[in-house]
Amino acid sequence: MQDQILIEMKGVQKWYGGYQALRNVDLTVRRGEKIVLCGPSGSGKSTLIRCINRLEAIQQGSIVVNGHRLDDSIKAIDVVRQEVGMVFQSFNLFPHMTVLQNCTLAPIRARRIGRTEAEATARKYLERVRIGDQAEKYPAQLSGGQQQRVAIARALCMQPKVMLFDEPTSALDPEMVKEVLDTMIGLANDGMTMICVTHEMGFARQVADRVIFMAEGQIIEEGAPDAFFREPQHARTKQFLGEILAHH
Amino acid sequence: MTPHFGLPEFGFLLRGLQWTVLLTLVAFAGGCTAGLAVALLRTCGHRSVEWITRIYIGIFQGTPLLLQLFVVYYGLALTGLKLDAFAAVAIGFTVNASAFLGEIWRGAIQAVPRGQTEAAMALGLHYSSRMRDIVLPQAIRISLPATIGYLVQLIKGTSLAAIVGFIELARAGQIVSNQTFQPLLVFGVVGAMYFILCWPLSWWGSRMEARLALANQR
Repeated sequence: MQDQILIEMKGVQKWYGGYQALRNVDLTVRRGEKIVLCGPSGSGKSTLIRCINRLEAIQQGSIVVNGHRLDDSIKAIDVVRQEVGMVFQSFNLFPHMTVLQNCTLAPIRARRIGRTEAEATARKYLERVRIGDQAEKYPAQLSGGQQQRVAIARALCMQPKVMLFDEPTSALDPEMVKEVLDTMIGLANDGMTMICVTHEMGFARQVADRVIFMAEGQIIEEGAPDAFFREPQHARTKQFLGEILAHH
Repeated sequence: MTPHFGLPEFGFLLRGLQWTVLLTLVAFAGGCTAGLAVALLRTCGHRSVEWITRIYIGIFQGTPLLLQLFVVYYGLALTGLKLDAFAAVAIGFTVNASAFLGEIWRGAIQAVPRGQTEAAMALGLHYSSRMRDIVLPQAIRISLPATIGYLVQLIKGTSLAAIVGFIELARAGQIVSNQTFQPLLVFGVVGAMYFILCWPLSWWGSRMEARLALANQR
């Protein structure tokens, strides 16, 4: 069973100066599992996933990704980042590179794969996010939804074991949310391990194995989506679900 | 008999112009190289290194260039290192340019959105690739108008080299003027030469700035 565990966080604590962003977080993610993280803004959910690929350092506790313990050494950070893909709220595509160059840079530089092979892989994933015909364009020439799908393809080109999504649809116009969610659902159906910070509860119901609710840097409650939405246990969860579901 | 301003005098000014251009090129090339190092150290994330670089920039921005040229020319001579005038002013201008360009590029590097670096880190790219492939190409675009502006200042600033006996365009003008007693004509020609050198650069710089502003609107 041990090798079924992909990510293990134990007793993770994180401070920004005097402010505690994560309080004693324990989280275990199995291979192929899809997890949705939700909670009010400032609850630490983005911080939590940003610790997994060491965009944020933690002060206490341990994080193990695919058997590699994440510490301060460059080697460990390197190994872990190669296993973990990330998609950001603001896309963060490289504006001075074409879509294809965005997708091939890291495989060529970090994985030392040849250009021909890297381009073939990139085109395969661009097809998969249904944007193959835009490979020669620059990010600014694409819509927000298209840009976010390129960002997903770019992360997939590194062949990660797990994908982290940090509010991937929050910066999108409403009519573009669906195309990105559909891409993510496709990825989930293919068996990718995913941790998604999102307020898209429809997505959570459809693909999540577990929904985790956070507040004030702590995991308050977690459960399978059915139970989580039908009968949340904590007052804080009920209040949050009442607020966000009222909009939908 | 006093000579009039003629072809030989014009030729003398042209040779001064040549030295001005050469000094500018050497100082700019050296300043760019050292300035890039200054900008990278200034943004490296190690607090002590950033402070040392900050002090370096502060010293060269906070004291007169004239003084810096004196220190290089006469100061180094005192330590037994006798430099000819060109080498001395080339070193002086290079070091000075490295501080100013370093500060311009420091600002440009920091103007590249943080998300660019984060995306590159998340993709497993190392510092050298993050800088070379992601941050610097964007920072250079951002800094181009200011960099060109500095180059124009540098061209005109090289006239200070005359103070240690280096005969560049302004000093050549002064010599010819003293010989011919035609200061208005001579300095008019000298001014026109500076103008022909600087104006196209200024024009290019402001065009770049307009284009960049347009790109940022989109």
